[in-house]
Amino acid sequence: MKLDRKKDISPKYLLLTFTIICIVLLLLSYFAGDNLAFIRKYTAKIVTPFQKGVNEIGLWTDSKLENIKKIEELNEENRALKEQLEQSRREATVYQNRLLELEKLQKLYKLDEIYPELNMTAAHVFSKTSSSWFSEFYIDKGRKDGVFEGANVLCGEGLCGIITKCYDDYSRVRTLIDDSSNVSAKCIPSSALCTVEGSLAVYKDGFLRVTGIDRAAKVSIGDKVVTSDISDRYHPGLLIGYITEVSNDTNNLTVTAHITPACDYNNITDVLIITEKKATVLED
Amino acid sequence: MKRFITLAVLIFINFILQSTLFGFHDMNHITPNLLLILTMSFGLMRGRKEGMLVGFFCGFLVDAIFSPVLGPFMFLYMILGYMNGVFHKNYVVEDVMLPLVVIILDELLFNTAIYIVSFLLRNHLNYGDYFMDIILPETVYTTLLTVVIYKVNVFINRKLKEEA
Repeated sequence: MKLDRKKDISPKYLLLTFTIICIVLLLLSYFAGDNLAFIRKYTAKIVTPFQKGVNEIGLWTDSKLENIKKIEELNEENRALKEQLEQSRREATVYQNRLLELEKLQKLYKLDEIYPELNMTAAHVFSKTSSSWFSEFYIDKGRKDGVFEGANVLCGEGLCGIITKCYDDYSRVRTLIDDSSNVSAKCIPSSALCTVEGSLAVYKDGFLRVTGIDRAAKVSIGDKVVTSDISDRYHPGLLIGYITEVSNDTNNLTVTAHITPACDYNNITDVLIITEKKATVLED
Repeated sequence: MKRFITLAVLIFINFILQSTLFGFHDMNHITPNLLLILTMSFGLMRGRKEGMLVGFFCGFLVDAIFSPVLGPFMFLYMILGYMNGVFHKNYVVEDVMLPLVVIILDELLFNTAIYIVSFLLRNHLNYGDYFMDIILPETVYTTLLTVVIYKVNVFINRKLKEEA
């Protein structure tokens, strides 16, 4: 009976009704988001397991296909590698000596301070946003695992993003290349403060944009860019990338640079989350 | 009832695929808009009302999982579903051109709307760059997939009609 009645309504009025529903939901979720949180919670409970499942299947088939393709290649490679091994063994001794020297030098540069000992937890990526405009992804750790909003996310050897929304058992991560991302950073070794901006237009060439570097600071290609000590959201000293291009701004005071990110955004499957909050000054 | 369940399952499958399989672990990847293809197919094949409802629930899933507030994508998908339903009177089963033209228009409208709301209002004025980098590739990708997926949807719709 219900269905029959529905068919009698003109599509125009139905459109009007649903538009009003949309606007009401929009206003409600904007001004009183917590009251509608249950909608998200239950939808996510149904959807996320499927996303995780499909993701697993995808990863599994991907690895199997790779395996089949690679068997022949590997056999050939194996032969070549055995020859190389002999040669490498001889070289290894030389390098071991050099390594000792490097360690000494690294201590001088205080590079080992770049990753201070922070508590971290690992997580899997199971989904990304459905549109091409935003560079955000979802991980399978949430509030229950000690993750919180504003936690820093690392991938590979560098900073990858920040958690912008945290639910009970999953959370959303905004990457540094997202168009709305801004990170306070500094260049090493000159310690000039700067801002790392994500930008769709620049990232298509594989770069992030760094603005506001003091012109007096000697910044050159190859310098490291790490998170600054004054940021209130990021732990200090996390590697962001290496400077690859420097250009003077028209105001003659600052320099803008392009950096190559340290983290490979084309293949993010596992990430590390820093589960320690940065100590900040409490505001009254 | 059977139609209702089938549509629900279709929306669900398309949503899962769009958020996982396509654009797999690639943050700078163009994702084809499968949900838009679904909305377009049923709007075209069944008229304004069904196009609108399919769009509404597609948008609901996107909003509930990905968007900070509920509503915007719901409205966008719904309006597009409704507008595609207007073309229902021109619908012929064998026609291939109409769905392709409609999906191209849909993609342009959909992405331009996102651009206006979340980029233009933040003073990112170079529409040309965004058009070349995101809108155009996504449109091409989605249009190519439409050729295949639309056929599947037509088949499902025919089966549902035969049984009703």
